[in-house]
Amino acid sequence: MMSDFHTLHILNKTPDHPRFSECLGMSSSDDALLLTENGVLALTTSRVLGDRTVYALKSDLTARAIDTHQSNVGAIDYQGMVELSLKAKRVICW
Amino acid sequence: METLIVIDQAPYGSFAGREALDMAFSLAAFDQPASLLFTGAGVHWLRKGQAPDSIHQKSVEKNLSAAPIFGIEQLLVDSASCERFGLTVDDLPDGITLIDGNADMIGRYQNVLFAG
Amino acid sequence: MTTSNLPARNNEGFLEDAFAWSREIAEVIAREGDIELSEKHWEIIRFLREFYKQHEISPPSNRLFVKAVREALGEEKGNSIYLMQLFPGTPAKTACRIAGLPRPTNCL
Repeated sequence: MMSDFHTLHILNKTPDHPRFSECLGMSSSDDALLLTENGVLALTTSRVLGDRTVYALKSDLTARAIDTHQSNVGAIDYQGMVELSLKAKRVICW
Repeated sequence: METLIVIDQAPYGSFAGREALDMAFSLAAFDQPASLLFTGAGVHWLRKGQAPDSIHQKSVEKNLSAAPIFGIEQLLVDSASCERFGLTVDDLPDGITLIDGNADMIGRYQNVLFAG
Repeated sequence: MTTSNLPARNNEGFLEDAFAWSREIAEVIAREGDIELSEKHWEIIRFLREFYKQHEISPPSNRLFVKAVREALGEEKGNSIYLMQLFPGTPAKTACRIAGLPRPTNCL
């Protein structure tokens, strides 16, 4: 499930937060994006994330009733989050 | 593995920056190198003469002055943001380094954490 | 002065107002933990009072308490064994409680 990437961007802001667009502006196609907390709400706004590799934290999805069945988003737990962080050459928490 | 903690919000409006400062101190406590970058409205952290007892809060200016004692590596401030908010070199406390806090600069750190 | 007429404290015995502190209050709080204050204790207490006046925070953890004491008073006093002997339990908490400072944020 976890493909190779350079930087892991951990994003916990909604798409209307300034940091959300800063994050997208600084991430490239070599990077992976992990949505946590209110960041998972980005999945309800179509195509805002482009063709990035996207993961989302399962507990935050469940809490907010966000469904990922139709998308390419990898739903992961905290264990998966740790694995992603260790795999990344760089981690940015937005 | 150095961590850069970015504070881009003004002090006193929320606890975001204080929590980040606390995290920086915790990293330093375990000898993990950590630096702080003040950018955007975060530069207001660096104003001299803050007296927030008027709003029943502790002074982030004074809190920040403990950073060298606790072993924080560097206190950095984005020069463009200083200019935008009318702060000159003379207005800044001692031990602050003016830099160009752009994406390249931030990208040189292996761990980056934005406050709040 | 006894425990019953100290200024307001929180549920862990820390003064609500660091500036309501006095040496006499320190002695009462110390006695609650069976500590008889010596000149060695007072040196650390004076350091903490001064630290708080300058930085408006308590050293957040034991490690940072030790680090700050080391910076100010040197290796001989800025080490955990020395501070543990003077302020048993969690040294940062015990010392801050006696010195009238707020509870260190990162001590369990």
